[in-house]
Amino acid sequence: MSEWTGVLDLVMENRLGRSVAKSVYFQGAFKVMRPVYFNKNSYPCYYLLNPGGGYLDGDRYQMKVTLGERAMLTLTTQSSTKVYRTPTKPVYQETIFHMKKDSYLEYLPDALIAYKDASCYQKNSIYMEKGATLLYSDILTPGWSPEGEKFSYDMLRLKTEIYMENQLVAFDHIKLHPASQHMNELGFMEGYTHLGSLIVVGEKTSDALLDRLYETIQQEAGEFTFGLSKLAVPGFTIRILANYTQVIERIISVCHHVISDEWYQTKPSFLRKY
Amino acid sequence: MTNNALSLLQLCDSSFPIGSFSQSFGLETYIQNDKVTDANTFSEWLNVYLHEQLAYADGLAVRLVYDALDVDDLNKIWELDRILTVQNLARESRDGTQRMGDRMLDIAESIYKIPVLSIYAQKIRDKQAFGHPAIVFTMIGHHLQVEKTTTILYYLYSTVVSLVQNAVRAIPLGQTAGQKIIYTFQQQLQQTTDKIMELDQEEFGVVSPGLELSQMQHERVGIRIFSS
Repeated sequence: MSEWTGVLDLVMENRLGRSVAKSVYFQGAFKVMRPVYFNKNSYPCYYLLNPGGGYLDGDRYQMKVTLGERAMLTLTTQSSTKVYRTPTKPVYQETIFHMKKDSYLEYLPDALIAYKDASCYQKNSIYMEKGATLLYSDILTPGWSPEGEKFSYDMLRLKTEIYMENQLVAFDHIKLHPASQHMNELGFMEGYTHLGSLIVVGEKTSDALLDRLYETIQQEAGEFTFGLSKLAVPGFTIRILANYTQVIERIISVCHHVISDEWYQTKPSFLRKY
Repeated sequence: MTNNALSLLQLCDSSFPIGSFSQSFGLETYIQNDKVTDANTFSEWLNVYLHEQLAYADGLAVRLVYDALDVDDLNKIWELDRILTVQNLARESRDGTQRMGDRMLDIAESIYKIPVLSIYAQKIRDKQAFGHPAIVFTMIGHHLQVEKTTTILYYLYSTVVSLVQNAVRAIPLGQTAGQKIIYTFQQQLQQTTDKIMELDQEEFGVVSPGLELSQMQHERVGIRIFSS
């Protein structure tokens, strides 16, 4: 479709134990940098970047990532995604992940920052096959506003659908609309400004892992509150409210370490940003 | 009031035994954290729960299930049963709701002979559906030919009444204070019903972060009289 501001289509496959790109296609204001294989990993990390520097009024982005059987991938961004004023039409970003049997995807983008009068709708559809493992995170951040208001953006909508073997197994729908919601009051942001989520789907999920994650997060410093709960399929959601992006990033990072250690006895690579 | 509406009212009674007395949907977390301490703070919570969670999930589902029953589109109903269940990311609230749906279906089956209820029950036994009280309630409302808006309104009312009863026990509040809250909420229920009738399907399952967090946190709250 030519109406997209930026399109990215990445297909990964497992070639004799090493995950490599089978095809990479991008067009318009969406790019990936050359893959980095950290610490002699058998799978790469791809960095997404937005050459325009931010999302503008009416921009539409589409990202499709397909992982073949047993293919593995880390996907992140080079820096935060900035959404500027959208006077006429919200920014729309669509993300579609197809994960074949026993594939592994870590999608750990930087924060999405919504500036004054910005409106953004992000829709994620994730189709998984049996044995696939997903680590998905997002961070929603209010941008600086000249008047110093805490929530100067217009609307942030984030919808995530996760399917396992073509059946919907998790559905998440966040809509933050400061004009109609009492953001600082009970039930909304509870006095915090930033919202972080980590959604994990993996057959190895256990109560012991959840307990360990809970204790690990509790030991983190800084002002935040969080919740942790199992999904209807093996997997869980962690939700974090805080006042700084860094606090949420740190919590997501320690959780990532705990998961990698419990499941693979490995340490995740530090995702260097250039 | 028609006799049919009276039959649907039976399901709205807080003593209708589907186990709603043991579900607080995160309210208990706020009580334990001293955020909900009296009639005012409870009303504030109930208001947010009604407008920012119940309307987008159960409430909108009642409308959509009712429409699907009108055109006999059962697949749409099974789809809603699944999305209603899996959008509830807090395990206790999800499981608790499912148990309530199961229980309501059991009782309904012993009272009514409604073909679609039996199909739903069979699907749940076959693990092809989860079971949700909003769906059972709507099937009965539709069967009784109670209007769609009234069915939505009664469903919201039944939820509010149970939550008030739970708040009366847990905070605690006086019985009279509880009844005053139920009375005051009549207008809100009507407003929420109007809003649900206007909602775009795309809005399904919106949840406000704080409410959901409190529902997740309930799993690890120290003293618990509720199971969600």
